[in-house]
Amino acid sequence: MSGGASVKTGYPLGFHMPESGGFRTPRGLSRSVVEAISEHKQEPQWMRQFRLQALMMFEQKMMPTWGADLSGIDFDAMHYYISPSERKFHTWDEVPADIKDTYDKIGIPQAERQFLAGVGAQYDSEVVYHNLKKKWEDQGVIFCDTDTALQKYPDLFREYFGTVIPVSDNKFAALNSAVWSGGSFVYVPKGVHVDIPLQAYFRINAANMGQFERTLIIADEGSYVHYVEGCTAPIYTTDSLHAAVVEIVVKRGARVRYTTIQNWSNNVYNLVTKRMLVEEDGFGEWIDGNLGSKVTMKYPSVILNGRGARGEVLSLAFAGKGQHQDAGGKAIHLAPHTTSTITSKSVSMGGGRSSYRGMVKIINGAKGAKSFVRCDALLLDELSRSDTYPVNIVSEQDVTLGHEASVSKVGEEQLFYLMSRGLDEAAATSLIVNGFIEPIVKELPLEYAVELNRLISLSMEGSVG
Amino acid sequence: MPVITVKKDEERIVPLLWTGKETELEYRVKLAEPGAKVTFLGLLLGREAQALSLNVEVEHAAPYTTSEVVIKSALSDTAKASITGLVKVDPGAKGTQAWLAAHLLLLSEKAKGVAVPSLEILENEVKAGHATTVGRISEQELFYLMSRGLGEAAARALIVHGFLQEMVDRLPKAIAVRASRVLQEKYEQV
Repeated sequence: MSGGASVKTGYPLGFHMPESGGFRTPRGLSRSVVEAISEHKQEPQWMRQFRLQALMMFEQKMMPTWGADLSGIDFDAMHYYISPSERKFHTWDEVPADIKDTYDKIGIPQAERQFLAGVGAQYDSEVVYHNLKKKWEDQGVIFCDTDTALQKYPDLFREYFGTVIPVSDNKFAALNSAVWSGGSFVYVPKGVHVDIPLQAYFRINAANMGQFERTLIIADEGSYVHYVEGCTAPIYTTDSLHAAVVEIVVKRGARVRYTTIQNWSNNVYNLVTKRMLVEEDGFGEWIDGNLGSKVTMKYPSVILNGRGARGEVLSLAFAGKGQHQDAGGKAIHLAPHTTSTITSKSVSMGGGRSSYRGMVKIINGAKGAKSFVRCDALLLDELSRSDTYPVNIVSEQDVTLGHEASVSKVGEEQLFYLMSRGLDEAAATSLIVNGFIEPIVKELPLEYAVELNRLISLSMEGSVG
Repeated sequence: MPVITVKKDEERIVPLLWTGKETELEYRVKLAEPGAKVTFLGLLLGREAQALSLNVEVEHAAPYTTSEVVIKSALSDTAKASITGLVKVDPGAKGTQAWLAAHLLLLSEKAKGVAVPSLEILENEVKAGHATTVGRISEQELFYLMSRGLGEAAARALIVHGFLQEMVDRLPKAIAVRASRVLQEKYEQV
């Protein structure tokens, strides 16, 4: 299975297993690994070229010199592609006790638990999904996994793929471009409003649970779609790197809302590039919650490319013991009368570190642009750390830009008040923390909000006093 | 890079009046002992093709230390100001109070401002905040003054003076006198 020897002989298909038997590339990354992935998926020539070019970029690009410590990533120790039938599932007994405990306490159904813990291959939501799928198809909405889209809708795919986030954007976008697999593809036709949020959850299965997911969403003129990814419950995985790319095109007058809640187990480096290109009068929103992982580096961006375009980023980060959440948002104003708001809330506890890193850039000519950034941080104990790194670049006179930030701890008076009303310290603290993040939580789908509140109460247990 | 070290219960004011001579300025302040306090007051007046890169770093290395960094800048023509501020609060620096603010007023089409006010906080018993604003003279304020009979140029000058005067008032006397003179000469008409 390792196939290392056959790579050296230059025979690219040396480790290509018969289709029925499953397929995985050997550890490490090379030209032949990338070619084999493309070959296995029977991709068109242009995609193979795209991947190979991306590989070159990946090799040339330096690791980021800023942000979190990424020295623990071993690129040579990873398998870059494992076909679904090859994917190993662990048994329920192997799942760490603290993760099982969390499922219990936040009330995740058993069927979902198995899936989230990587025990079962598929979360059984087929019936619900099929009915919805028919409705979407009648409206002309395309919602499938990205590999299928490349085969079934080659022209549409090629027109937009890699246009919002070029291969050369950063080292991890280049890595994703070289070895991507899975993710979602969404196309919403002109004027169509998708009234139920599209959830990756509905059609998620082993094939989509990739480390290198690639998502592409195109909202045609005047359309609306809300896409929801991830979940509040911890996802247990033994893969140590998650490097996804999400590209979204918001055409004239369209609106896209993209909600992510991620709670990877805390061995994972979560390095994701997310960007929306918003055209005239369009509206793009990111709601991004980062709870788990060892290290997260993620800055959802809105590029406001047409007059009157709007962008909004809501970012929530929760850093516990041993975690560094380096998250934030970016707004690039390229056209007149564009507006953006970035709201970030971070909580650090138990020695965790959360950093807000953001950028607002307004070019000359983007007259009447408005941007407001607010970031608040809550430090729950003296072991933890909170940073704010906001960059504001303004080359246009006719703008309004405001930025405010505050860092605080849980107020003694607030605690005293709640405890005098009969709450114990843990309950009082979790109430205050939940209140602090409320502006973001209220934008989440209800089941996520409920789970998140429970999750926070759970993390407060035993952390105070 | 010399470090300004502020000792126990000492209060320091670090004033800066930039009128275009330097292109790069760096200040590093260390609040080394309890009760140390620093107030950094920066007044940046740029015109023509003048450009400044200003870097201010304040480290709270002891408990009960206070810092206030306020920078106000008015930029005309193609002037450019790039302001990088960093306030660090070391572990154990309890009772720290830190405030970091940068306000930029762009007076021409081609003026450009960059503001990066960063915080690194490793102690939870602190009060820390920062703020940035970038913008031009507000239409409403201008309209109000002109409706009271002022010409446009005079109204603009008055608004710019109002924006900057607050800083001048806080500067130590010698430098305040110089700042007032510059304000009068350069911003009589905007």
